Amino acid sequence: MTAVSQVIPELRAVDLESVLDGVAAAPVVPPFHASRRDFVTDLARRLGRRSAAHPESRALAYWMRKAEVTRMEAAFAELGTDDIVLQPRGTVFHIPPANVDTIFVYSWAMSTLLGNRNIVRMSSRATDQSNLILEVIREVLIDHPEVARSTSMLTYGHEDAITAAISRVSDTRVIWGGDATVNRIRAVALPPHATELTFTDRFSFAAISAPAYLALDEAGRDALVERFFNDAYFFDQMGCSSARLLIWVGASDEASSDFRQRLRSMVRTKGYDVPTSAAIAKIGQAYRGMIDADAVAVDSRDNALTVLDVERFPHVRGEFCGGGFLYELPVERLADIAEDIRRADQTLAVFGIPQADLRDFVGRLTGRGVDRIVPIGKALEFSRYWDGYDLFTEFTRKVTIDSGGVS
Amino acid sequence: MNVGVDSVMDQLFERPQFSIDQDEKSRLLAAEMSDLVRHHRAGSADYARICDVLGVPDHFDDLAQVPYLPVSLFKTHELRSVPDDEVFKVMTSSGTTGQAVSRVVLDRETAGLQSKALSTIMRRVIGNQRLPMIIIDTPNVIKDRKMFSARGAGLLGMMPFGRNHFYALDDDMRLDVDGLQEFLRDRKPGPVLVFGFTFMVWKYFLSALAESGTTIDLSGGVLVHSGGWKKLVEEAVGNAQFKATAAELTGLTRVHNFYGMVEQVGSVFLEGDDGFLYPPNFADVIIRDPETWLPAENGTPGVVEVLSVLPRSYPGHALLTEDLGVVHGIGTAESGWSGKQLEIIGRVPRSELRGCSDTHAFDTGRSA
Repeated sequence: MTAVSQVIPELRAVDLESVLDGVAAAPVVPPFHASRRDFVTDLARRLGRRSAAHPESRALAYWMRKAEVTRMEAAFAELGTDDIVLQPRGTVFHIPPANVDTIFVYSWAMSTLLGNRNIVRMSSRATDQSNLILEVIREVLIDHPEVARSTSMLTYGHEDAITAAISRVSDTRVIWGGDATVNRIRAVALPPHATELTFTDRFSFAAISAPAYLALDEAGRDALVERFFNDAYFFDQMGCSSARLLIWVGASDEASSDFRQRLRSMVRTKGYDVPTSAAIAKIGQAYRGMIDADAVAVDSRDNALTVLDVERFPHVRGEFCGGGFLYELPVERLADIAEDIRRADQTLAVFGIPQADLRDFVGRLTGRGVDRIVPIGKALEFSRYWDGYDLFTEFTRKVTIDSGGVS
Repeated sequence: MNVGVDSVMDQLFERPQFSIDQDEKSRLLAAEMSDLVRHHRAGSADYARICDVLGVPDHFDDLAQVPYLPVSLFKTHELRSVPDDEVFKVMTSSGTTGQAVSRVVLDRETAGLQSKALSTIMRRVIGNQRLPMIIIDTPNVIKDRKMFSARGAGLLGMMPFGRNHFYALDDDMRLDVDGLQEFLRDRKPGPVLVFGFTFMVWKYFLSALAESGTTIDLSGGVLVHSGGWKKLVEEAVGNAQFKATAAELTGLTRVHNFYGMVEQVGSVFLEGDDGFLYPPNFADVIIRDPETWLPAENGTPGVVEVLSVLPRSYPGHALLTEDLGVVHGIGTAESGWSGKQLEIIGRVPRSELRGCSDTHAFDTGRSA
């Protein structure tokens, strides 16, 4: 008997083996089964009502709303044909990161919609927001016993034995975390047939066409800066998709200094607080960058934003301070940085760059990074496509049917 | 005014510690800092690059203009201003497993300056005699290489100021009261030196005496301690209570805390009779406003920047620490303690930034 703390469906100490037996006994249902759709949309409704104070939860609720679920269902339907039926994998084991309160819901809700049973290893780190989300999930699950039976969220310490016991009954394992986390969990065996998805440390950046920016009027510039602010500052710039590097395509000092000035005042207008420890971390990052990234100038006139001007692509993908720190690189064409892209590079958020140039850029990246290109303002928007995976297909398997011509 | 390197350094060493008027000291240190910045720019390509990016001038009239390095930089970069063959040793800070440690490169000159400076500073409160020394620690702290740490290094730095060293704690941090009484009985009459880390002195010496209902007579002696108040703040013990308890249980009334760090060994700030920490001749402090990073008014708390003219082999002469402090005023030479009156408030509180990278509890090797 192994005691673990369960947070979903009910908050109590439980015996791991009986939880795993219970989940295994719950049925798997077809993707977008009415019971799962209703659960997710109920959750969205209730979370939306209760998340006024938490923008990330609002965004999450919005992503699970009925219209979006309907759209996802329609897109999913297009993957199947007369000969190919998509079925749930079975049991999906999610290991989300400790410090983004909402990630576990995206991963778990997507898998739930697709009909799987789910076990989530929850961090014991509790925030107001994660507590709220868990409370709302518990409430909604009372009306959805079928989903409750097939879901268990647990907290436990550094116990590989527990990870191993859960992995043994899993068909798919999803790991979010840094390289060390992924390597450690990967060493724990899965059943031979099981699949694994890893979401590791990533680097993301943005590119703005300077002429396109300068062509904007005041309101247009402010709107773009606000979207950039949302992308960069929403998760304290520590999300995998938050831009750390801003590339000006068609270099222009005028565009850059106008943008910085607007971004600084946007940070103040939004009341974004940079605590002293974060400000000191940004100073540390700036000095490391001066040595490591061939910086030519630093602009840190206030704590809202620190900019390090670089002349070459800064290969600085490791430790990052967050909280409003940008490398800025001017280039002639986006293609100029293609050689510098690495597999760890995830999101490129863009403004004013033609589709043909983006396709040309992606064409130069064969076998290397950049998993998604999105307009500035949508960097953090979760979708079925993440880190190069399509979660619709990763959380299901394809059953092919050939009747031998009998119709 | 053109002050040569040697003349400034000679003055700082030869004039009594804590005796130089603040205005004169600022001038002396600024002149020496101008030379040091040039020296480190010439010797360290990394430091030169930083100065170039910042557009640093090559002469300073005001210490606040000297570019400071964030102390965390020594955890990620081995900064050195001397060639490889002049490296005498590389000091590292303590750190729990997996945490990055600071690496400080020393040549013989800098190591010599450090120990000479520490000695002149400590003489101010200990005197010129080597006193019988009670160490509030276990002998293992320097015997056991695995335990060897900032604690061991700090102790080794202090041991030359005493003789007949007596370790007052056993391996389980229990106070050896009998051994201590015997040590006191056997010594020649006269003052003793007591040294330990602040928290250990409180917990394993003073509290242990109080719990056992024992008092010992160390009157006329001097207690020197260091290591920070963080754990004592958690127990709601301040300097006043610390000193009162020491006086009550041991008769020790000359009690001096000091503030120093591995990145600036030697030029420690010493607690004066009024409880403030004073920079020695070789050092100064600037409190920086955490919004503007400009020097804060006296009385206003901010982030502590420390300056020291001792580092020659690594550019650690001006460092932005991660400590909060406040300068309450300026002491006078007449009181025996001139210079800025510093109080260390504690570490800057850590705020947890979010993000989807690596702080999962599965990572045993990293601290969140």
